[in-house]
Amino acid sequence: MSSPLLPPLSLTLPDLPAGALAFIGLAAIAVLGVLASPAARALLRRVLSPGAAIILLIAVAASVGVALIQPKPPVGLPFWVFADVHYRVYSSIAADWTRRHPDHPVHVLQLTNPALERRMLSGFLAGTPVADIIAAERPVAAKAFVGPLEDVGFVDVTDRLRAEGLLENILPNSLTPWTTRGRIFGLPLDVHPVLLAYRSDLVEAAGIDVTQVETWEDYFRLLRPLQQDLDGDGRPDRWLLNLWDTSGDLVLMLLDQAGGGLFDARDHPQLNAPRNAEVLAQIVTWVAGPGRVCADVDLFSASGHRQRLDGVVIGTLMPDWMCGLWKQEIPGLAGKVKLMPLPAWERGGRRTSVWRGGTMLGISKRAGDPEGAWGFARHLAMSTELAADLYRQTGILPPNRALWSLPVFDEPDPYFSGQPIGRIFLGVADDVPVRSSSPFAMAAQSYLGNALVNLRGWADATGTYDRPALRTEAQRLLDAAQRQLEREIGRNTFLADAP
Amino acid sequence: MKRNRIYHSRVAPWIFVGPFVVSFGLFTLWPLLQSLVLAFQQTFGPATTRWVGLRNFEYLIGDPLFWQALGNTAQFTLGSLFIQLPVALGLALLLNRPGIRGRGLYRLTFFAPSLVGLPFVAILFGPIFEKRTGLLNAGLHWLTGGAWNPEFAWMQNYVMSSLILAALWMYAGFNMVYFLAALQNVSKELLEAATIDGCNAWQRFRHVVIPEIRPVGGFVVLLSVIGSFQMFELSYILLNNSGGPDNRGLTVVMYLYQTGFLTGDLGYASAIGWVLALLLMGIALLQRHLNRKYEDN
Repeated sequence: MSSPLLPPLSLTLPDLPAGALAFIGLAAIAVLGVLASPAARALLRRVLSPGAAIILLIAVAASVGVALIQPKPPVGLPFWVFADVHYRVYSSIAADWTRRHPDHPVHVLQLTNPALERRMLSGFLAGTPVADIIAAERPVAAKAFVGPLEDVGFVDVTDRLRAEGLLENILPNSLTPWTTRGRIFGLPLDVHPVLLAYRSDLVEAAGIDVTQVETWEDYFRLLRPLQQDLDGDGRPDRWLLNLWDTSGDLVLMLLDQAGGGLFDARDHPQLNAPRNAEVLAQIVTWVAGPGRVCADVDLFSASGHRQRLDGVVIGTLMPDWMCGLWKQEIPGLAGKVKLMPLPAWERGGRRTSVWRGGTMLGISKRAGDPEGAWGFARHLAMSTELAADLYRQTGILPPNRALWSLPVFDEPDPYFSGQPIGRIFLGVADDVPVRSSSPFAMAAQSYLGNALVNLRGWADATGTYDRPALRTEAQRLLDAAQRQLEREIGRNTFLADAP
Repeated sequence: MKRNRIYHSRVAPWIFVGPFVVSFGLFTLWPLLQSLVLAFQQTFGPATTRWVGLRNFEYLIGDPLFWQALGNTAQFTLGSLFIQLPVALGLALLLNRPGIRGRGLYRLTFFAPSLVGLPFVAILFGPIFEKRTGLLNAGLHWLTGGAWNPEFAWMQNYVMSSLILAALWMYAGFNMVYFLAALQNVSKELLEAATIDGCNAWQRFRHVVIPEIRPVGGFVVLLSVIGSFQMFELSYILLNNSGGPDNRGLTVVMYLYQTGFLTGDLGYASAIGWVLALLLMGIALLQRHLNRKYEDN
């Protein structure tokens, strides 16, 4: 059956077995009895002070009581998840699955993401208890890919996906984050395409028609009248796009959209690709100098949400999952925002990008019931119920093309001014760029981010904001970053052995 | 009876130190030795290890990130020494003045930040340094009648200064307590004698107070240096688990954490840890040597 699991941390009094309760009760009575007897008190006084005696007795009683507690092992295949919404959605599906498959029951346990990562890695690498199925986020799963291929703790599902015909339906670019050295180690749960969310109330009030926007150049030119100084202090208080040289995730989405990015299709670093230098140079002209059109508004904090409500920025790069977040955390924007395809870098170019995260369902090699785990994971990947629930609660779209015809994706969304956002996202889903599975993705992003910060610093220091000069300097900085990253990757002797 | 006493005098110390020796050996010495072995290996969990000899240390010598982290940490340490400690001593001198009312309340007020811990300080200072809505920018914008740009990025342009400021708020009061205790032990007779000899306030401070509080001062300096070199939580939370823009806020322990637990390279992280430990040991020995030299003089 299933592998053993640590019990949930919360333990209430009714969970204690009768024996433990009885022992603790008896110990308490014994303590009181000892203290009530003058002879015992005299004896104790000779050996210990009364306070020390009480502490000692309580400690002994509590230790034995705790030792007697028998944790109740969870019934069913252990399934670890990290997100609240995953827990909510998967729990009801797991309950239904357990009813219909009593021989393969599933027990969903929610952990924080760092706890899941620690327990997953120690399970894989040191043999501590680990779940049969794990919903792992991309940076977490990537840590399992650092060592030799045969030591990856997840089951290689490549042949199984092919044999069961799943490969044909799953969007190929949704598989790449879970693929290392040509082998697939998980079932993807998302696509994470990116659109542009904009303040439709402000844009429409200004009489601007966003259907005229095809490229970033169009976007900034047409929306320029909206960049205004509202309080008369001589500085604009409203900007056209939420982007800054330090917003790593947003910069990465733009790089991916433009056809650059951190790694090539074979997971080799390509920080110094000329396309990256071009994009960084362009970004600097947007965030600094006389042509500045962007502002830095935090994506997740309360103050960032306040500024979005106040209209400090018009446009925000919007992955599918962020729709659910906005609905929950910025209800005041309901009916004031709309989505449009990302403006392209050049006419006819890609109108979407991809969020660097993502989640997969991986099966542990140490699973007690691998067939049951695969069956459940497959059920989740194919489940229309899960796809609809996950979309309704989070906006996340399934990577399984067979599910894209569900009517839920055509429902108008009042938050986004009645747009059928599911269908709009699906319209660009086939065009999302590839995500890498490299365990060095975070390091690569950090090197690239530093190059951009330095480029902007150089531009400010020299007053150079023309693109060709910026591109030359960007290339120099990216070449240095590439060398550092290659040196760091080269230190990993396990990956160096890979074909 | 005598034999029993001899037996007790031989065995009793071992019984008393036994629990410490066992727990020290198990939870400090053994991991320490393990980390030394790790520093010469590359690992993928305990089962998959490769002996790489001195390669981790060779890499470290040529690693610009390590040197940048070391430079940042040294900057933070110097900030702690030359800003935090004088402020702490100044506060202590103020509170040590005779006839000051509400001394206990002031002492509590200055000391209180150190009760809450660095993570809280980091969470508190995060919004203070924010652009547009942050207390610092909004306050300066208001105070200068709109001349100050509320979009000024403190955590981008002045990362280390911001970290030093946040640490100052927390540790100035903490160190003040040490200095206050030392000041209260300064011999009144000596001060009176100096006054009678015609010394002014500065001369009394320079020639009586400073030598008297020197041992405590030395202890506080050592604590500050070691604490500053181990700085982690503040930059971890304020910089959102990164080194900040261009790694301007990356400290050695942050780099160790990133290498060991984000990249998963425990061998290299151990090498960084050992270099840091040796560095701190060197600083402690140097300080001890200087102290002895001063005392001999």
